[in-house]
Amino acid sequence: MSYKQQNFVSAVIYVHDDENTVEASIKTVHAVLAENFEKFEIICVNDASTDNTKQIIKGIGAGMENCMVSILNMSYYQGLEASMRAGVDLAIGDFVFEFDKAVVDFEPGLIMQLYNRALQGYDIVSCGSGAGRVSSRLFYSIYNRFSATQHMLQSETFRVISRRGINRVNSLSVTAPYRKAIYANCGLKIDYIKYKPTHAGSGKQMLKNPQDTALNTLIIFSDIAYKITMFFTVLMMLLTLAVVGYVIAIYVMGNPIEGYTTMMILISVSFFGVFGILTMIIKYLSLMLGLIFNRQKYVIESIEKITG
Amino acid sequence: MMYDRIMIGAGLYGLYAALFCGKRGENVLVIEQDGSAFPRATYSNQARVHMGYHYPRSISTALKSRGYFDKFNEDYGFCIQSEFEKIYAISANFSWTSAEQFKKFCADSNIRCDEVSSDRFFKPGMCEGTFVTTEYAYDAALLRAHLLAEIEKYPNISIQYNAKIERIINNGDRYTFELADGNKPEAGFVLNATYASVNQIHAMLDFPMLQIKYELCEIILCKPAKPLHDVGITVMDGAFFSIMPFGKTGLHSLTSVTFTPHVASFESVPTFDCQARSGGYCTPTRLGNCNQCPAKPESAWPYMSSLAKKYLKEEYGFEYVQSLFSIKPILKASEIDDSRPTVIRRHSDTPRFVSVLSGKINTVYEIEEELMA
Repeated sequence: MSYKQQNFVSAVIYVHDDENTVEASIKTVHAVLAENFEKFEIICVNDASTDNTKQIIKGIGAGMENCMVSILNMSYYQGLEASMRAGVDLAIGDFVFEFDKAVVDFEPGLIMQLYNRALQGYDIVSCGSGAGRVSSRLFYSIYNRFSATQHMLQSETFRVISRRGINRVNSLSVTAPYRKAIYANCGLKIDYIKYKPTHAGSGKQMLKNPQDTALNTLIIFSDIAYKITMFFTVLMMLLTLAVVGYVIAIYVMGNPIEGYTTMMILISVSFFGVFGILTMIIKYLSLMLGLIFNRQKYVIESIEKITG
Repeated sequence: MMYDRIMIGAGLYGLYAALFCGKRGENVLVIEQDGSAFPRATYSNQARVHMGYHYPRSISTALKSRGYFDKFNEDYGFCIQSEFEKIYAISANFSWTSAEQFKKFCADSNIRCDEVSSDRFFKPGMCEGTFVTTEYAYDAALLRAHLLAEIEKYPNISIQYNAKIERIINNGDRYTFELADGNKPEAGFVLNATYASVNQIHAMLDFPMLQIKYELCEIILCKPAKPLHDVGITVMDGAFFSIMPFGKTGLHSLTSVTFTPHVASFESVPTFDCQARSGGYCTPTRLGNCNQCPAKPESAWPYMSSLAKKYLKEEYGFEYVQSLFSIKPILKASEIDDSRPTVIRRHSDTPRFVSVLSGKINTVYEIEEELMA
């Protein structure tokens, strides 16, 4: 008999109208975990499926030994992010696998490859095939360009997170709209394994409002929005200053219409003031955003005690 | 042999009733299927002296628990473990009750609830409210020793252990029991205090069944790390866990809403798959004692311990010692509000037959009325 891992692991699988693939996915995950772990659980987060997904899970879950299969039913369709957060909150394992979709386009051995990598001290290990929709790739490139993150974001198929990693993420923020960005910013050691897909996976979009999520994530985790608005306010202020200069020049050189100079100076100075106030408000807003989403003052990776 | 009263079951309710009647000079027989007193539910439970915190969705249960709490502590103070801090916490996720609602509920039922920081016991973000409360645990072994010593003083009370009831016959003014050993005790008053076997006794007499479902439950006794030693922690309200002193034994009992029940039976009498593997020891007509059963389930320790460790900070550790299994009957009506009423039902007047079903020890006083009637 082979030696089995004593750690308790949880696998959280997101399902939404996946009646064609869910059975193969759960069986693959179950087979790998049953071979390697004494005890584990599988949590299927059923995001308001309207087909037979739930019945299929119930059917296969009942016959599985040494493992608890649970279904976490979302009340209504809430998308990948909220659903997976609920699933991970429910999981009790020392390590938690997050499968963002119930589609297996990887060699089953990859699951243990990620776990073993995690045991080497990586609190979050994710994997992906690099495939993805054009819009996703555009998002990742903008994000990686403008955020101060220590890790690049890329499209991921599944990942494993240590309990320590989950605790860290919980203490960072529970309201951030995008888990992957939180994971990448949690300050712990993370790793990424790229694999070659065994077959073309589905390009199904599972975020509830992908454009919103992308925009929110960019605003929160990168300074792109702040930079753009600051650029425009400074530009406007310079423009009003230019107008003031132009009005003064007309006044000195020629004979303007009665009241023109006073009017233009008043308008320009007022606009200058408005843009000044806007700059301050944007500065305040970005400060507040920072305060809300970074409740901890710093994030550390680990403390090493070295005694002589 | 004719008795004034026969009590079926030597759990707390049976022995309390026997002592209560014995003190009044009546001849009492207690019939117990196992070889000792308190062999099942009275021993294999969380040993909680209920104060009502457990039922934030059923204020009637809470108020009743509260009422008997002080009396029980006064009467049986010697077996009460009160030297610990009892923590109730509301899980941040998946709870049916919020911290605010729990505070209001405690205020409404007039029970203590002092808020402390969740960071003291729990990992960050796991609990949204943590409260220090007053709740005790009783020590079943001490309680049993006390009741048996008291009963010893009364020659008019006898206990027959290892008694298998084959039949119960209504003879007009008395019930006649036919036991497997040939004894035929009789009495004009019978108290059925068999807990999980209550409907099995009813089936012998064609009495209406109580609407209950059954769960095969596991309680894990564990050795607490030092910081946990004087603390009892319950995370509510839903699929969470409780770890608290098991009487004065120095051990803690660990239970969880999800993993403590192993299998459920929705038949009117307890019917489980494992009975087929018990070699006739346990059947739907006569429950065996799960702890002695060859077909008892594998422990859910990996699940329960993982769940508790997910919430608790590292220093509040614990180690596995032993599992206790028992069958727990749950009234079907209480599924929604989680209430645990004490059911006392009189099935016949002459001869009298009374059944009692209660999941709490401190409501034991409620049977006095029936015993005096």
